[in-house]
Amino acid sequence: MQAQPIRVAELDANFKQEVIAYEAAQDITACFSCGSCTTGCPIHEAYPEYDPRKLARMVNLGMRHRVLSSPYIWYCATCHACEEHCPQNVRFFSVLNVLKNMAAKEGYAPSSWVNQTKQVMKTGIVFPTEEAWVKRREELSLRPLKPEAKEAAKLIRLSGVDEIQPRT
Amino acid sequence: MRRYALFLGCTTPTRVPQYELSTRWVCKNLGIELVDIEDFACCGSNQINISIEAGLLLSAMNLAYAEAQNIDIVALCAACYGVLAEAAEDLKNEELRDRINKQLSTVGLQYNGKTKVKHISRAIYEDIGLNRIRKEIKRDLSNLQIAPHYGCHYLKPRSISRGFDDPDNPKTLHQLISATGASPIEYETLDYCCGGKTFPNSQDLTHSLIAKKLDNLQRKEVDCMVTQCQTCYLMYATQQGKVSEKFGKQYNLPVILYPQLLGLAMGADPVVDLGLNLNVPSVDKVLAKGGQST
Repeated sequence: MQAQPIRVAELDANFKQEVIAYEAAQDITACFSCGSCTTGCPIHEAYPEYDPRKLARMVNLGMRHRVLSSPYIWYCATCHACEEHCPQNVRFFSVLNVLKNMAAKEGYAPSSWVNQTKQVMKTGIVFPTEEAWVKRREELSLRPLKPEAKEAAKLIRLSGVDEIQPRT
Repeated sequence: MRRYALFLGCTTPTRVPQYELSTRWVCKNLGIELVDIEDFACCGSNQINISIEAGLLLSAMNLAYAEAQNIDIVALCAACYGVLAEAAEDLKNEELRDRINKQLSTVGLQYNGKTKVKHISRAIYEDIGLNRIRKEIKRDLSNLQIAPHYGCHYLKPRSISRGFDDPDNPKTLHQLISATGASPIEYETLDYCCGGKTFPNSQDLTHSLIAKKLDNLQRKEVDCMVTQCQTCYLMYATQQGKVSEKFGKQYNLPVILYPQLLGLAMGADPVVDLGLNLNVPSVDKVLAKGGQST
């Protein structure tokens, strides 16, 4: 990510409050930017643009638009290494989930995640029913899978997530 | 006899059925009863990316189906295990549970906070134990050098794995491999993530993570990698050809699931019982070195 100047006019002083209104993100205020999360992050090692320490700082500074529109917040591998090494017990994995949830509501979610949820509403799993694997299971004498999951679809609809539109 | 509801998840039954097949054989022969609950659906681990609420509702639904049959869950996938165990922990909170139960009631379900969740390797380690495994060995695997791969969610966060093993210096999969007679190796990138969760969004990123571990193992004397999660398997095994091509390398490292290794040691038929013929790259070299009956 090319360094860009931070303009005070672009900052949203209320952003941090908006984030910590979610229970899962409340620890973010304890972050003192030591960088232990970034040091242990396998994604950062491969893609330096993904930087948990920097993201935490951006949240605390109120860089709402840049955080929520950033493609990098979607790069997390969910390995939990960041929170294992945090001396302040910030559960950055949970904080990032909150940021992604907020970004998704504003239309920034990648289509891969949105489509997987839509698929679960149809088959109960993240994949469509395909003849190849249905046949393979038969050959191995493994039980057939239930082809639909009305209950899962109903619960997903209750969360409102089916209305989310992917990033275009 | 220990009894569990088998949580298959999305990927194992459709993409890596040999993990399910070998698990069923091993459990049957070690005395773990696996119960199928047809109504289980996705664990919710991918939904939390865009809606923590949707993910939690799916997890709670699965926990409630198991609780209705008065049975604990054993999961094959490290991420399914992780997200279901975290949800079970969160739902011990009565206030949250009451709120979630209002939603679950719309599909005729209720969750009272009773279901426990284990990963299959941990169930084998704790319920069967290393001594019993050593007594079941029928094939000599002592020529095999094996790289263990734990899978991130198996031990992290430690607030969920609760002292079962040390995520920074894990030993239990090494021990499970040793109990089969094979030798686990030590290597520098042991704790590297397979990148499976980034794969749908960024294949380039995942491929570069896979290459780091494969590069490391190419410099070691190792016959195969053993994983205990089908997503880790898919990344290191099925993506291996693409990663070789992309980075101009010649990787050829067989990858097998732990129940396949254990079943092999216990004398199971490699094809009929364990589906080892389905693994890519081919595991023929592993079978040639470790196929002798004792």
